[in-house]
Amino acid sequence: MKKHTLFKLGTVAVLTGLSLFVLFGTDLVMAHKAKHTPEQLKAFEEVFMEQVKIGDLLFHGDAETEKMMGTRLSRTGMACAMCHPFASDTHPQEFPKFQEQINKFSTLRDMINWCIEKPNEGEKLDPDSDAMKALEAYIYWSNRGSKLTPGVH
Amino acid sequence: MKKHKTKEREGDHGTPSGITRRAFLSRSILTGAAIGMASQGFLPILNTVDLAFGAESFRFAWISDTHLYPETLNTRFVEKATKAVNDVNAMKPEPDFLVFGGDLAQLGDPAELDLGAEILKKINVKKHFSPGEHDWYLDMGEKWVKTFGKPTWTFDHKGTRFIGLDTISRGPDYWSAKKMTPKERMGHMATLDGSVAGPWAGVGKDQLDWLSKILSDWGKDKPVIIFSHNPLYEYYPPWNFWVRDWRDLHEVLRPYSNVTNIHGHTHQVLYNEIGKMRSIGMLATSWTWPYAPEGVPVLTTPMVRVDPGDHFDGVGWGKITVTATGKTDHEYMMWRKDVYAQTQVDSGIGDNDNQILSPRYADRP
Repeated sequence: MKKHTLFKLGTVAVLTGLSLFVLFGTDLVMAHKAKHTPEQLKAFEEVFMEQVKIGDLLFHGDAETEKMMGTRLSRTGMACAMCHPFASDTHPQEFPKFQEQINKFSTLRDMINWCIEKPNEGEKLDPDSDAMKALEAYIYWSNRGSKLTPGVH
Repeated sequence: MKKHKTKEREGDHGTPSGITRRAFLSRSILTGAAIGMASQGFLPILNTVDLAFGAESFRFAWISDTHLYPETLNTRFVEKATKAVNDVNAMKPEPDFLVFGGDLAQLGDPAELDLGAEILKKINVKKHFSPGEHDWYLDMGEKWVKTFGKPTWTFDHKGTRFIGLDTISRGPDYWSAKKMTPKERMGHMATLDGSVAGPWAGVGKDQLDWLSKILSDWGKDKPVIIFSHNPLYEYYPPWNFWVRDWRDLHEVLRPYSNVTNIHGHTHQVLYNEIGKMRSIGMLATSWTWPYAPEGVPVLTTPMVRVDPGDHFDGVGWGKITVTATGKTDHEYMMWRKDVYAQTQVDSGIGDNDNQILSPRYADRP
């Protein structure tokens, strides 16, 4: 009886595993093996550029976008772009690195939050929030082509 | 957008000791190898050719780019404008006059302009005012002209002809077709890296004719100092670090051998020579702009990287001396010890050697 039950359980487990593999595993693998259609690539880019646009507007202190995203990035009237036109001097390619102002090994998101809290006197963002990801998308997009030099001061 | 083209030498490219704050405007006699040195950011210390006019030496002060918000929103810009005013009042001997070089207000709000007028009123010496685009595009200069007078002016002082050029009020109409409110018009003008307001900075044919007339009775080698909000050459048009008709302006100035332009708008240490005209970029009291990704004049010795945690860093005002021999010498009154970068890593330009930037996305039509 005991052996039979174990055998049965084992069979169920194997079958379940197999069906999960059939249902999801192969699909996932296949999804990356199939050639991308131009439509797919366009859709990927659209998702990204939509975030770049939101990030750009937040970066420039656009009140409507701030309202939509539920953020308060500044209390001084200053917007990020007032020190960083075209996202210059943001140096996303240098992170992560030791950041003097924060006095710790920091990511770009840490630095964004430092700027929001200190010079802008705003409310810092959840590092995983949509607003943070949008700001990150804008900063990276604006600096694309810069050589990756992580850790550089 | 390409990587900035400013030439940088590997390693230390700071200024020679002895030049800590002053822009030595003296390289009109440089030739050959010396020009090579200047293009690396080193400025050899040379004296200008002495041009004796028998005039007396004097000093004047410059404040610009205070970008005041209403005091209820932002007090730090008020603090810094006030600090500059106190510094000017503490000059001994006192300067002959003060020039305010534009962008008194941030959004052209009458409350901002009144606040600025109140702060500048405390300056004891005579004052001359040039407007910036931030002062103008809410009501198209109405409040400015009422408070500070016409944006174009000239006067002679101790052997130098001074000219205030208006480089901001002739922006092509970008608002009517889009039915923008005055606030929206001002908002686009106040966005340095926005593309909606277009190439708004210019001198204009009418003003060029006026300038030509004003200079016609002035000796070709006598000192002329021109104040403008924008630089009078092409530094970086996407941020309107230029005037669009700068070539026409230089045609008018071509016969004159001792012209100095002093400008605001760029919020950074800048120096250039175009033809016979020298050009000095002045500090803001409010905040610094980074150097543009390309077009920084090779004659500029870069300023230090600024500490964003200290809002008094990298900003200040200017002290200008006109010598008895007609030489113009400027001292950056930056509120920190070292104005110029001593090493690549601490330089506002050198730090961005590996930076490639793109114009904005969200404001594209």
